[in-house]
Amino acid sequence: MSELFAGTTVLEFGGGAAGPVATRYFADHGATVIRVESRQRPDFLRLLRLTPTSTGGLDGAHHFAVLNANKLSIALNLSRPEGVAVARRLALWADVVAENFAPGAMAKWGLDYASLVRERPDLLMISTCLNGQTGPERHYPGFGGQGSALAGFNHLTGWPDREPVGPFGTITDSLSPRFAALLLASAMLHRQRTGEGQHIDLAQVEGGIVCLTESIVSYTANRDILTRAGNRSRHAAPHGVFRCADRDGKERWVAIAIHDDDDWRRLVRALGEPAWANDPALATTAGRLAHADDVEHALEEWTRTRKADAVAAELQTAGVEAAPVEDFGDLHEDAQLAHRQHFREVEHAVLGRHPVESHAMRFSEMAPTMRLPAPRLGEHTEHVLTSLLGMDRAEYERLRDAGVFE
Amino acid sequence: MPAAASFANDMAPLPRNLDHTRVLDLTSEPGFFAGKLLGDLGADVVKIEPPGGDPARRRAPFWGGANDPERSILWLALNTSKRGLTLDLDRPRGRDLFLALAARADVVIESEPPGRMSARGIGYEELHARNPRLIHCAITPFGQAGPYAGWRGSDLTVAAMSGNLYATGDPDRAPVRCSLPVAYYHGGIEAAVGITFGLLAREQTGVGQHVDVALQQAMVMPNIGTAAMFKMTGNRGGRAGAFMRQERAVAREIWPCRDGFVSFALRGGPARIPGLVAMVSYMDEHGMAPAWLKTKDWKVHNLNILSQAEIDELSQPFADFFATKPMAELYAAACQRSLMLAPIYTAREITASEQLAAREFFVDLDDAGRGRLRYPGAFARSNKTAIGITRPAPRLGEHTAEVLGEIGVAGVEIARLRAEGVV
Repeated sequence: MSELFAGTTVLEFGGGAAGPVATRYFADHGATVIRVESRQRPDFLRLLRLTPTSTGGLDGAHHFAVLNANKLSIALNLSRPEGVAVARRLALWADVVAENFAPGAMAKWGLDYASLVRERPDLLMISTCLNGQTGPERHYPGFGGQGSALAGFNHLTGWPDREPVGPFGTITDSLSPRFAALLLASAMLHRQRTGEGQHIDLAQVEGGIVCLTESIVSYTANRDILTRAGNRSRHAAPHGVFRCADRDGKERWVAIAIHDDDDWRRLVRALGEPAWANDPALATTAGRLAHADDVEHALEEWTRTRKADAVAAELQTAGVEAAPVEDFGDLHEDAQLAHRQHFREVEHAVLGRHPVESHAMRFSEMAPTMRLPAPRLGEHTEHVLTSLLGMDRAEYERLRDAGVFE
Repeated sequence: MPAAASFANDMAPLPRNLDHTRVLDLTSEPGFFAGKLLGDLGADVVKIEPPGGDPARRRAPFWGGANDPERSILWLALNTSKRGLTLDLDRPRGRDLFLALAARADVVIESEPPGRMSARGIGYEELHARNPRLIHCAITPFGQAGPYAGWRGSDLTVAAMSGNLYATGDPDRAPVRCSLPVAYYHGGIEAAVGITFGLLAREQTGVGQHVDVALQQAMVMPNIGTAAMFKMTGNRGGRAGAFMRQERAVAREIWPCRDGFVSFALRGGPARIPGLVAMVSYMDEHGMAPAWLKTKDWKVHNLNILSQAEIDELSQPFADFFATKPMAELYAAACQRSLMLAPIYTAREITASEQLAAREFFVDLDDAGRGRLRYPGAFARSNKTAIGITRPAPRLGEHTAEVLGEIGVAGVEIARLRAEGVV
């Protein structure tokens, strides 16, 4: 088939990861995704590692580049009424509007759902922020770091005797784009079937809490407060990450997950039937949980002199679940990710050839494609306005000369 | 406290985005969330369990404590918005009934090891041949093919192979995971996206397709681009514990306070400067902002150019201030003054949140056999469609007769199937 979203236009306001990663799902399957940006207030990802000597300035940010491939960028100064008017025309013309500003920002410009839907009855729009569009804490400002803390992920991550740490990458920033893509895709289906659009309010904290329903229900059912437990499982042992032989002077680790007594017997065989492991007290999950410290210590003595990749391969061959702990560099050598073509290269004007990521689904009848690198700020203003929106050239030039596209 | 009425709101006769979508859910724990989300969006999701029940039903802890397959917290939590059917897929009659159900379904979701479905005669080829419109989604640790496709994997090990584990935890200890299986949540939402994309594609082409979701790959995206950036930055990741790495040093992000912890960053930039300025004036009202901090020009503040000693000096007054305040007071101030500070909430604070109460987020589900229990509700809101839990997790075989009746299997035959142990 031709690309799923060929001919579909998504207009995107906002920045960071929670909004922009969501629209990538559509862009990678053929949608025209247009980011509305401004030099007056750039996406913070364009600023994240910016120093006075950074090559390419706002257009040279690695972080923006890896998250925004396949999109177009238009620069509009929304502090100017002419800029807002152009944004409004785009929003009424697009098939989908996505925004992740703080609640109220879009209304300030008259670009909120209530204002737009009067002229576009089948408008499909998603607004996503930490706490949602309503409620006493809706204006609370924050990024994923705060979302992760409020949703309960930080409390559940780390060692029981230390501070919580939060999963790397501020997890609500990666759950929210997935929720947003699901919501938009299902709403597109609903609009195709019924002609009805809708406004979706995705509170990133609420989405995160729904993921952690097990933790909430543990509390509402039994008043149990689940807490961080390192890598241990409440249901199985050993279940952890063990130090292996260093490689190139760096620490290496292997993850091993024993789920039941059969797994344990396979592990003991793979270890060569050492006396400590044949202790009958360790034959059952309950026994191993009771002696988890000793089991982990003994297991690590075995892994400590071995290579992580070799331990994982050997244990998997023996039917035991194990995996090397891969760092960001290792992922580019990972044969499975390579098989699935997880990383795809694009050519960027400032950064040169660099990889971007694809999503985690592989379809039998269609495939994600990387057509474009992330845009330079305002790179496609002229193209979008004159070729796609159909603004006449004289008007475009007048607005450009008046400084609206900044 | 919101009453059971908020559940009634979810049951109001608004349309749902995935109305008229029939889903057969064969998954085990790694796939539970996908079907739950489709059900929350209005799909008719039928959870198919082996006759003895899904293994998750035997997983402790149990609601009320006593071992009861109807009261496993894990089962109850992630199988809402589904009907339930038991079926022995290893018997010819069970397989035939499944094929009859799949012939009129829109979606099948499964999380079996690659090849297991085909070995039972219910793989994608067989299902697609009988129902070309079917979307078949498989959720596996590493995907259907490739060098590690045959490896065993679960939350911990797929996270290990995603870069996300390596970067999480304290620098002086092993990499560490979240104690609940976030790989399954990421993969579950991803699968629901893939299924919905498959439904959209079917609107154009008239035919369904296979959707192959890999949990390992689903866990790479949570690194938010830093894995791809390695080729430009050389950054392999690294654990900074309660801190975040900057260009030259680390800066604290998780701070002890009087009764717990808060998340707060001293990073600059236009989006954060107002919060930093407001935080300093809040501290000053309590006499805890030193003179040099009050006169600091945040516009030129850039953590990336500071040494560790400079970051430590800057951090100290904040650490001293947080130590005097409880989480609730700091978060109330954060909401009032737009400070980018968040408390590290546990389930206790989350269920007591005023914001979530105002949005009627929690729902109390009444269940004749089990009583009333409070759950997180909708993962999002819509002004035109309903989203959220439609029913509690099914009891074992609760809808067996109802679902089989829909494919014309009558009561007498169901009794025989029961006697034979097929259902």
